Amino acid sequence: MAEIGKVRIRVPSSIKQGDVVRVRALVIHPMEIVQRRDGKPVDKNYHFIHKVVVTYNGREILAAETTQSVSENPFFAFTFRATEPGTLKIAFLDTHGGKYEGTVDIKFS
Amino acid sequence: MERTPSASHITRRTLLRALAVVGLAGVSGPLLGPDAVPAQGNLGALQPEEKVEATMKRLFGSRPLKDGSSAIKLDMPLIAENGAVVPVTVEVQSPMTPADYVKHIYIISDKNRRPMNAKFTLTAAMGTALVGANLRLGETTDVRAVAELSDGTLLMAKREVKVTVGGCGG
Repeated sequence: MAEIGKVRIRVPSSIKQGDVVRVRALVIHPMEIVQRRDGKPVDKNYHFIHKVVVTYNGREILAAETTQSVSENPFFAFTFRATEPGTLKIAFLDTHGGKYEGTVDIKFS
Repeated sequence: MERTPSASHITRRTLLRALAVVGLAGVSGPLLGPDAVPAQGNLGALQPEEKVEATMKRLFGSRPLKDGSSAIKLDMPLIAENGAVVPVTVEVQSPMTPADYVKHIYIISDKNRRPMNAKFTLTAAMGTALVGANLRLGETTDVRAVAELSDGTLLMAKREVKVTVGGCGG
């Protein structure tokens, strides 16, 4: 569990200006599911990622609301248009107030 | 006769004290009450358990859903051996310009207890309307992708995934 919040982001090794780049991101997280006792769901503060925000040079390009129907160690894929060099940042927010961020530098070759 | 003034004195003080306590409680109650603001992971904050028809009605009301099977590419396995990890990729044909882009993509699985799985909010800066995620599916189910375009049109595509082992913890 010590690895909770470890973010891994993969982008293609060579990016040209104007390319539509496909990004794959993974975060280590348990995504706790609803427990049931006698068929009734237990009410407690379940620990799962409920929001994902992707920003590119400070501008938000994608936001996602996620639920426990997303698997453990969630994986997301998306694309973005690389218009300028800079930083792509992905932030994962969970229900216990955790914020896990991963960044990747976008450079043109 | 001796006690009357003191009795009235106490009453007044008690009354004031009681008022003060009520006043404090009134102020601090909503701020400090542990259950006043339910945490985001509590049951009340989750997507409700419901049938998929109720989910569709709650999310889209009576707005018409157009058949988007030609515009939406729903990429996922035909048979998922393990329901705990089912990769799904949704790609919507769209120019993705500020004037015409895909605003939201919803991923909904019919037979999960909470059918609403993920909602993506996209922007034109993405270049293509493509999102992917790994889902948990409880049993063999239809998975729907609903795309809401910037002009408000709703497109839907769905496909069945056969799940051999459910992924919702029994």
